[in-house]
Amino acid sequence: MNVELTELTRKFGRVRAVAGVNLEAGPGVFGLLGPNGAGKTSLLRMMATALPPTSGTMRLLGRDPGAYGPRREIRRRLGYLPQTLGYYPGFTVAEFVEYFALLKDMPPRQVPRAVAAAIEQVGLGDRARAKLRTLSGGMLRRAGIAQAIVNEPELLLLDEPTAGLDPEQRVAFRALLRDFGQRATVIVSTHLVEDVGAACAEVALMDGGRIVFHGTPAELIARGEGSGAAGDAPLERGYSAALAAARSVAAA
Amino acid sequence: MTAAGIHSTPRGTAPAEVAYPPAVAGLRLAWLHAVSRRVPAALGLLAALGVLLWVSLRYHWNVAGGPAAQMFIPLTIETGAAAVIAVAAYGPFGEPERATGRWLPYLRLAAAVALTAAAFGALAAGATGGNLPGGSVALLRNVAGITGLGLLGAVVLGGMLAWAGPMAYLLVTEVALQGNPTTPWVWPARPPHDLGAALCAAGVFAAGALLITLRGPRESERD
Amino acid sequence: MTATTGTAVRQRPPRATGAVPLTQARLLRIELRRNAMPLILPLIAALFWFDSYRPSTATPPLYVVRTFWNMGQGHTIVDFGPFVAGVAAWMGSRDSRRGMGDLVTATARPRWAAQLATWAATAIWAVAAYLVFVGVMFAVYAHQSVQGQPPWWWVAVGATAVTAFSAAGFAVGACWPSRFAAPVAAFGGFLAMMLSSQTGFTSTSGWALILPTNSNGNFQPDSGMLYPWLPDLPIARIMLLGGLAVAALGLLGLLPGAGGPRLRQAAAVVTLAGVVAAGTAVAFARTARLGPHGIAIPALHDAANDRPISYTPVCGHAAGLPVCLNPAYRSYLPGVTAALAPVAGEVAGLPGAPVRAMQIGAVYDPGEGGAGQAMTMSGDPPVLRMPLGALGLAGAFGWTGGQVADQYRLLFVHAFTGAGNGPGTAAQRAVQAALLQDTGVPIATQPKVLSSVGLPSWARVTGGPQPGPEPATGPVYAAARRFAALPRATQHGWLTAHLGALRSGHISLGQLP
Repeated sequence: MNVELTELTRKFGRVRAVAGVNLEAGPGVFGLLGPNGAGKTSLLRMMATALPPTSGTMRLLGRDPGAYGPRREIRRRLGYLPQTLGYYPGFTVAEFVEYFALLKDMPPRQVPRAVAAAIEQVGLGDRARAKLRTLSGGMLRRAGIAQAIVNEPELLLLDEPTAGLDPEQRVAFRALLRDFGQRATVIVSTHLVEDVGAACAEVALMDGGRIVFHGTPAELIARGEGSGAAGDAPLERGYSAALAAARSVAAA
Repeated sequence: MTAAGIHSTPRGTAPAEVAYPPAVAGLRLAWLHAVSRRVPAALGLLAALGVLLWVSLRYHWNVAGGPAAQMFIPLTIETGAAAVIAVAAYGPFGEPERATGRWLPYLRLAAAVALTAAAFGALAAGATGGNLPGGSVALLRNVAGITGLGLLGAVVLGGMLAWAGPMAYLLVTEVALQGNPTTPWVWPARPPHDLGAALCAAGVFAAGALLITLRGPRESERD
Repeated sequence: MTATTGTAVRQRPPRATGAVPLTQARLLRIELRRNAMPLILPLIAALFWFDSYRPSTATPPLYVVRTFWNMGQGHTIVDFGPFVAGVAAWMGSRDSRRGMGDLVTATARPRWAAQLATWAATAIWAVAAYLVFVGVMFAVYAHQSVQGQPPWWWVAVGATAVTAFSAAGFAVGACWPSRFAAPVAAFGGFLAMMLSSQTGFTSTSGWALILPTNSNGNFQPDSGMLYPWLPDLPIARIMLLGGLAVAALGLLGLLPGAGGPRLRQAAAVVTLAGVVAAGTAVAFARTARLGPHGIAIPALHDAANDRPISYTPVCGHAAGLPVCLNPAYRSYLPGVTAALAPVAGEVAGLPGAPVRAMQIGAVYDPGEGGAGQAMTMSGDPPVLRMPLGALGLAGAFGWTGGQVADQYRLLFVHAFTGAGNGPGTAAQRAVQAALLQDTGVPIATQPKVLSSVGLPSWARVTGGPQPGPEPATGPVYAAARRFAALPRATQHGWLTAHLGALRSGHISLGQLP
């Protein structure tokens, strides 16, 4: 297993953003769904070792990120795209990706080729020398994906990766995810259920800091059948049904 | 994802509130604008500069260079206050804020004027009982004029680099003070009741305030 | 979630160990290309021209005088430091301002290492610009035939100061990523410079000498011409500024999230080393004393720097009197000979008249403060020794050519009458005044000449705040007028017979004809 979370909790003041999550994930693409404020981003940030948990245990890539040495090893093998991508406007696309390749301790001699490959994979090959400030929102997102994948990570964490991408780019991106999923653990947090349906082998639904559903997309679809839940597509109906069920249990 | 089927009220939603009266709404708007510009932090810095001025006027410096040298430490503090006001002009919102209604220019002007008044107040308090060269008249002139430069710098360079204008002016003044400048454009070097210097400083402040009101600070992706 | 079948076994990613310098170098390359420091360089260039170069052009073409304002008083540092600190603070706060915190944190390279690359790029731009600007200024000076050796040690001090400002500013921005970090760093740096220039302004010893803009005693008048620039104080200042820079950068490594335990230990050691270096420099400065040729710090002093620079003098003639100067004063030779010629002609043939005039090094007396130094005559045959470095120079600090000529004549005559390092006896003063009148300095203007700043203290009224002898009235000047009114042959005859007694102080005012 590349990801093993046990009763993982994160509090911000009195707010429990993540409330005792248990999760295991190996190679493959794992979708993380949930409404706003469900705790998806906080969970991803903890897995990215950018945020320490308040309690619970976490093992990533067989290591405990609580200690500096193992945490550093995890980060060498990690790719992370946050929900809000910060960037240096004066950097070119290539410099931005190279910068993170170097920060991830990639052997410097491998960096140029890896950077070029990552940029090509996200379809920005012809914009490699363009300054980030000149890119559209979708292109910026793709540049963010490129920096996340440049080091061929074993654990790839993507928070809203398709925000701003047009449908053609989303299709390409899903193919990229599936490709990565063959050799790495990819966890995708998204609002777009069709992304989950197209690329993910497993999906978890979070609400109120907890995982309220964990299974395959087919199982999520089955939840929605005959439930009368809202939604324009089977996955949406499954999502709504699972969420409603979780909330009624919580209210009871 | 749709909202249909989610019957329970999402957690954390505030109950519907009573609408503000207009006066309260105006104050609330001014307060939010001030917070977005970090005005409370700026006021704290201005107060600290007032304390610094108080200390500097009481310490017995081993000063050489006559009146010009005597005034230079207080002038540095006054210029620092102007730089704080200039940097506070920077707004984080960009286009969404500019694409709103008519209040933004008034808010910018109010923030600039209020902070300048606060700077004068803090520094005047710090100068109480001390021997500030030129007194409070020169203090007001210097702070207003250099703040105007800073605001002009914010319009041209952007809020984050706006401090560079007052700093450059301070250096130019330092060189000018070595001689006996008669130009009113180096107003810190002129006597406190020099009308020309006062007019120049007032004019620069008015120009800076006007431009920051109408155009706001330049928004650069570097910010 | 289970592992999918057919999953390829991932190989461990190869470590970058052994290639750490290359990685840092590549990070540095990116940072150099995208640093914000170049944005502010045009403004600094304009200020450098206005504040450091332009005022220096009105000074004599000697490096020690040309660079007194911009190097000796630290104006090159003032032109750079605050702006460098402000922009460095902006760069230090970059990750927070741009929302890059999480992204950078989630990488393997210690945050401290990434920050050091950013800082290094900032500092390289700033220091390179400083060296280029100073280099251009010195190239212009060379084109203007400025003489003497450039104060390279002080250039090194300036470069280190710029580095220190960049480090301190960067640390401020990294620790406090507020919009106010840049102006606070900039103005804080400027205020520190102002405070440093006002602290111990008149001190010629003690810890205040370590302050970057403390100018007292730095630029001894013969530095780089007759004697080498003493490196003692520059070395101490480099230690201080370098220590502060190292400590500021080490502090970054102690912040939470900077790196692992070993790295933080290393950062603590680095910080401590910087503090120790700075403290040692201050301790050195406490032992500093203004010596004959500059500030000497015993622990750093090399006696070889006390040896004069050998040179081939340039010579001319003043009414038949050979006058030899250091070649750096070549352009002043005509003025010096013209100033000395009337006196040389007046005393020619008299007992004790000098056979030669030569420039000697000025020996700075701390008790004199900024006062000048007398010419002396000694040796057999007598030689007039002129410490030109301690006297006025046309164009320096408001001195005109006429004032300088009057000063040189006064000091020549003063030395000739044997008054030495004091005002002299009444008879000596009267003969001095008479001879001066004969050489073109009317008695009526002599009090003004005698009260010029830069003359030795004997020219000043004892205990008075302002320099100045008695007005051109009174018995001394009355005797001087009588003596000056005598025919030249009579004057010379009397002087020939009584010069020895006059010099030894055995002639009273009433004994003058």
